[in-house]
Amino acid sequence: MISLDRASLRYGPILGLSPTTFHLPDGGGITGLLGPNGAGKSSLLQLLSGLLPPSGGEVKVFGQPPFRNPEVLARLGMVPEGDRLPMGLRADRWLRMMGELSGLSGEDLGAAVARSLETVGMADRAHLTFTRMSKGMRQRIRLAQALLHNPQLLILDEPFNGLDPEARLTLMALLRDLAARGTRILVSSHILGEIAQLTDRILLLFRGRLLAEGTVTEIRQLLDRHPVELRLTGEAQVLARWAVEQPELAALRMEEGAVVLSIRSPRDLLPRLQKAAAEGGVPLESLDPLDLNLDAVFQYLTKDHA
Amino acid sequence: MNAPSPLATVRATAMGYAPRVMQGRGWVVAGLLAVPVGLSLVISMVARIKGMDGDPAEVLRIFHEVLVKMMLPIMALVAAPAGIREDLEQRTLPLLLVRPAPAWALPLGKGLPWFVWGAAWLVLAALGLQAVGGDPSLLLGRIAALVGAWWGELALMTLVGLLFKRGTLWGALYFFIWEPLVRIFPPFLQRLTFTHHIESLAGSRAAQVQTHQLLAQEQVSTHPAVALLALLAFGIICWALAGWKLHRTPVGLAGSEAEG
Repeated sequence: MISLDRASLRYGPILGLSPTTFHLPDGGGITGLLGPNGAGKSSLLQLLSGLLPPSGGEVKVFGQPPFRNPEVLARLGMVPEGDRLPMGLRADRWLRMMGELSGLSGEDLGAAVARSLETVGMADRAHLTFTRMSKGMRQRIRLAQALLHNPQLLILDEPFNGLDPEARLTLMALLRDLAARGTRILVSSHILGEIAQLTDRILLLFRGRLLAEGTVTEIRQLLDRHPVELRLTGEAQVLARWAVEQPELAALRMEEGAVVLSIRSPRDLLPRLQKAAAEGGVPLESLDPLDLNLDAVFQYLTKDHA
Repeated sequence: MNAPSPLATVRATAMGYAPRVMQGRGWVVAGLLAVPVGLSLVISMVARIKGMDGDPAEVLRIFHEVLVKMMLPIMALVAAPAGIREDLEQRTLPLLLVRPAPAWALPLGKGLPWFVWGAAWLVLAALGLQAVGGDPSLLLGRIAALVGAWWGELALMTLVGLLFKRGTLWGALYFFIWEPLVRIFPPFLQRLTFTHHIESLAGSRAAQVQTHQLLAQEQVSTHPAVALLALLAFGIICWALAGWKLHRTPVGLAGSEAEG
């Protein structure tokens, strides 16, 4: 569905996206595009949505370059970042126009507008002008415009910015529902928790470079030289004595009633620890991985490239 | 799903953005015509109450000096930035550009409601001047001149707004520096002004005004039909160039890629 072959993007002398290569297969599912501000997320999304042509390399969506390509754009929906809508217009009339610009007409147009408003929960408030809507309501309308023509690929740039917690949960549920129905969704965010709640599949960008691609676990496996932190609770001194004999141990620190180990290759060490605990050789009460979440992965990767 | 045709794109955009002309900026455009013509009407009514007749020369003066030289350019300078340039500046253009509709049709689609709105007020203004005491034989010519020039000037300003970051400034320089300066240039250059074609359509002022008040060094001799055709063609060329510029220029979420 999406393929980038050494695609790059320059804004004059500034490199927005370094030569990047990756492929996303056909079919539904959510892919998170993660990175801090200025990482190149929006640059990548602008390439994919056909707003900008690549400065180098090749971008293909549905097998074709997307820039000003109606065949691609007819199958793609985009929710750009920011609270930008033409103020003073009524949402329902604006949506009708966007539907017509997507090639809809007649009864199909009316049905598409009604369906997308229903999907985003704005059917009863669509007669309001954008000026009279809250930020959350406008965000729903922005999503509705992208859903009008039933796109196979939905691209959302920082869609959770400015939304209250309830609206975020609603939007997440909506995106999951769309993905389950076969829509491929690409969503960018600089907030790790949002992406982690939505999907396990991520593309990690930093300073215009694609750092990693895969699930959180897969990416974690790339980080062999970064030890995983585990907190073992129990008799700390005995636990520490056992740990220092393990070849995977990188560092150790004592806490009250616990020992925190930094270990490489946890998949090798954990079975041995489990066995030792089962045999009574290690007085282990509990084990907590401290940094196997997305935040830790992100911190590690970006620290490396900073 | 099929991509919409250029005609459907123009229609959809024009209908979608039509309500904008009924908001603040639209009433400013209307006011630019309504205020001077309204004042003239009031003055004319007071004069008639006092037993004085309407003066066709006064109507000519208001038409050429106020409407054509001042209000029409200001209307274009006010209205054009509310067209496609507004979407560029407010960064709402990407919402339009990610649709399968032809991008080159968008400037015309967004400009059309402004053209219709301005044209309606120009017709009203011409009729208002008629009530002040204009020559009835010149009414159709005046309407054609105003509407034709509005078409061309709005299209020109839309194009300039896409070509230059400070399009309004360049437009103002054209309208208020170049056009008046033509009087001291070789005669053929007057054909490159809106005023030349307006004078052709609205009728020569030679009989009513002093020589120094005439636009150019020579009497306007272009046939009205040719002048109207020239204004319409110029507008179409400007709309087409604006569409070409938008189609060719990458416009991202930041909007700045299209600048200059």
